[in-house]
Amino acid sequence: MEMNFEHILLFKTTIKTEADKHFIAGVMQARQIEQWTVDLQDIDCVLRIVSPTLQTTEVIAFISENGYLCEVLT
Amino acid sequence: MRVRDVNKVELVKQKAIELLVELGFEGFTMNKLAKACKISVATLYIYYQDKDDLILKIGMEEVTRMSNVMLEDFDPECSFAEGLRQQWKNRSKCMLDNPVSVQMIEQLRSSTYQEKVFEVFGDTFKVPLGKFMENAVKRGEIDPLPLESYWSVAFGPLYSLIRFHNEGRSLSGKPFVLTDEVLWKAFDLVLKGLSK
Repeated sequence: MEMNFEHILLFKTTIKTEADKHFIAGVMQARQIEQWTVDLQDIDCVLRIVSPTLQTTEVIAFISENGYLCEVLT
Repeated sequence: MRVRDVNKVELVKQKAIELLVELGFEGFTMNKLAKACKISVATLYIYYQDKDDLILKIGMEEVTRMSNVMLEDFDPECSFAEGLRQQWKNRSKCMLDNPVSVQMIEQLRSSTYQEKVFEVFGDTFKVPLGKFMENAVKRGEIDPLPLESYWSVAFGPLYSLIRFHNEGRSLSGKPFVLTDEVLWKAFDLVLKGLSK
């Protein structure tokens, strides 16, 4: 499956546990974001979203509003 | 749009296999892999969703690649002796040329990734090897026997010899290098044991 890499948004977060992930799942669902994953095994708890429309600033805003740190992964 | 760099993908695969063997699945991290490849962690996450996804995808690709090499020039319709000889040739070459991949596949065999990865082996080998054995039985070259028994006798000795070779030592730590003479002598015994 080829995808447009520009549609992949990557963030360093503090979404560390299954419980955190479960909570974020609710947030994602409310925003109708379907293609997302968090790497709980990684030190940076990398959040990966595939979306042609979302902006990084939007994601940082709504993740932060929910009490987690979120910054662009470089 | 950034273009998927084939060389970079290959480098990531190769380094990932090396690191997975060196550090184990637990000790392996995306950060360590990124450093080894001199790329950013973000680049890795463009290709793979997370560590699990990376291990699974790379593992399955490697199993597929090795399976295909093992079936090269193998014709399920040929005689039992000829077919088994080709299998030994392919398997030994493949495992001696890719010792690190062999180790990674061994690790996968005893991990939670086992089921998914070994579906690939099963899917690739089931038809040609099943047909080969069936033909040999039909032609009266071998006795009918359960696939597991057949496999153990047909390839068990080969796998032991290759393990000794890749580890560089055999029983009680004695240094060991697999030669053609040793390999084909063992093959002759296997063929003799399985033939009617």
